[in-house]
Amino acid sequence: MNLLSVGISHHTAPLEIRERVWFSADEIRVALAKLRAESDAEVVLFSTCNRTELYAFSPGESVPDSERLRMFLLTEKRATDIPETAFKTRKGMEAVTHLFEVASGVDSLVIGDVQILAQVKEGLALAREADAAGFFLTRLFQAALHTGRRARSETRIGEGAVSVSYAAVELAEKIFERLAEKRALVLGAGEMAQLTAKHLRAREIGELLIVNRTRERSDALAAQVKGTAAAYEDLASHLRSVDILISSISVEGYVLTADQLREINRKRDGALFIIDIGVPRNIDPAVRDLENVFLYDLDNLNGLVHENEQKRVNEIPRVQRIIEEELREFGSWFNGLHATPTIAALTDLVENIRKTEVEHNINRFDPRDRELVDLLTRRIVKKILHTPIVNLKNGTGESRSERLSKISALRKLFGIDHEKDARHDG
Amino acid sequence: MGVFIDIVNVVLPAAYAVVVWTYGKAFFGDLPWAKAVKSHMLQSALALHFLFLVVRTIEFNHPPVTTIFEILTVLAFCVALAYWIIEIRSHSTETGYFILNIAFFFQFVSSIFIRDLLEVPEILQSSFFGLHVTSALLGYSAITISAVYGFLYLMLYHRIKASKFGVIYEKLPNLETLERMSYTGFKMAFLFLGLAILVGFLWLPQTFLEVSYIDPKLVGTIVLWLLYGAGILAKRVGDWRGRRVMILSVCGFWITIFSMSIVNIWFTGFHSFY
Repeated sequence: MNLLSVGISHHTAPLEIRERVWFSADEIRVALAKLRAESDAEVVLFSTCNRTELYAFSPGESVPDSERLRMFLLTEKRATDIPETAFKTRKGMEAVTHLFEVASGVDSLVIGDVQILAQVKEGLALAREADAAGFFLTRLFQAALHTGRRARSETRIGEGAVSVSYAAVELAEKIFERLAEKRALVLGAGEMAQLTAKHLRAREIGELLIVNRTRERSDALAAQVKGTAAAYEDLASHLRSVDILISSISVEGYVLTADQLREINRKRDGALFIIDIGVPRNIDPAVRDLENVFLYDLDNLNGLVHENEQKRVNEIPRVQRIIEEELREFGSWFNGLHATPTIAALTDLVENIRKTEVEHNINRFDPRDRELVDLLTRRIVKKILHTPIVNLKNGTGESRSERLSKISALRKLFGIDHEKDARHDG
Repeated sequence: MGVFIDIVNVVLPAAYAVVVWTYGKAFFGDLPWAKAVKSHMLQSALALHFLFLVVRTIEFNHPPVTTIFEILTVLAFCVALAYWIIEIRSHSTETGYFILNIAFFFQFVSSIFIRDLLEVPEILQSSFFGLHVTSALLGYSAITISAVYGFLYLMLYHRIKASKFGVIYEKLPNLETLERMSYTGFKMAFLFLGLAILVGFLWLPQTFLEVSYIDPKLVGTIVLWLLYGAGILAKRVGDWRGRRVMILSVCGFWITIFSMSIVNIWFTGFHSFY
């Protein structure tokens, strides 16, 4: 298998190096066009914040030159000073296995990362658009996407929040039925508050109030998350009507004490979910004892995140089993691309049809003619198959890539490949 | 038909046990096969149970509501049926294990003690009696379902409060959904018990010459009905919500079980027909 992958990832290089070889969609298009102009190899390139990987498949006799491809990536990004050790090269089935692991999320910095599947898909789409992905890489990437989808649907590799801000939103969804009918108040405009506000907006929170001591900052964040900025002085009155409070301001002492909240709670309806991500803490921990009030601080949220991370790690063996199944499937498809097994499989298939039909109908013929019928049908089948078999053996002057593509098409047309192939076309 | 009734009487608790076990495997073990078959198994158990009730009615020439153990099998059927409807409407299949356990328990007790009753007092064949008992059964089913959802709410409430996560946290619906489901059961309990009491009051003077309005079963049901009414009032007018209403719902269920057991075991009155 003349497949090669050259890549840089969080396993091999720190962020300051990875970001230098990050390719935008436009840059990928340009790079693919150049690579196609230089050789007849099929290529797919995708780039995320944690990895940039180039896959090349040569239809000729030799494996693509890894050094040339690595230098191509570095030259394109004017980063030729990045050492060779920052890259990892894989060949043949090792590259296939790696791609399947990437698509499944087990190779991600955050195990079970949900975005990687979309990024692999986009890589394939860009390559097809640039006519850089032929039948082999198209099939390989479709198999990888199928593996990734199976990993997510058949295991829990992608379940549970693995960031503090997302964990807060996930908790809110465990308390409230419809976030679209709820009001959230973000107190402060720090990074964590911003992230949580963005996640809440993404989950279509009904109303998002932003309160900060500096009005300009609350206005800016409100504009960013489609919220409403409110005055710091009105905080107490807003607390009576909100369902979620995210507090992350730097202040000495508590912004909200248990006594204050007990008083406010008398005039409120429904549960109140408080996320205190301020350091030092903004909310009196005694609030936790109040009925229908749920207080979470950084330690609680980190505990949830850690638990979810561990659960994802525990799912890796199940994902690996799926990868092994899909690798066997892909390997069997690839091995079938050689002419000799295809000819044997095609001959067997047609011979079986002939034999079955002759057996079913032989009694209609005079016993003296039966041997003749068998001989005659054998000759017909042989003559029909003669030209395709010769062309498969010797080729018809096409390139190797075209020949492999034809073998693949023939196997599909006659149903020689497993029926499972159909699933990979999605 | 007698043989059929005897066989199904044994098979039914076993069928519910298998259904509960499958729902448990799906909930705690996250097993794909269990998730795939659990609803179908429940439907099969319900179909068998329905057939059992119909055949009993035909064979003994009266609806199976004349003894406490006949009522228990109908109650088991009502609880399982109500859960099945909830499952279809809410598309949430995660609470089945908890509710169907109750259905299994009712059916198990019923199957052990139920007796074939061929001679039924004429009074029990009245259509008023049918409406009275049906309303009461629906009310008790609603009490059961409300209590189970209330119990699940309290479990999840304490887990979230204490930052203790795990299968209960992961699998159960959110607190508001559990509260809504429990409160719906709560309101249904009030409605159907109220109807049972009303029909009973209308029917009593026409049927019994000696009516005691301090009959233990009657008093117990009225007290229970008032308790549920007070709960609804506290939620609508007062500031009762969430945890407090759920505690009331769970307490309501235990008071029902306790008072009905006491009344049926220790007291006699015009309200006993068997």
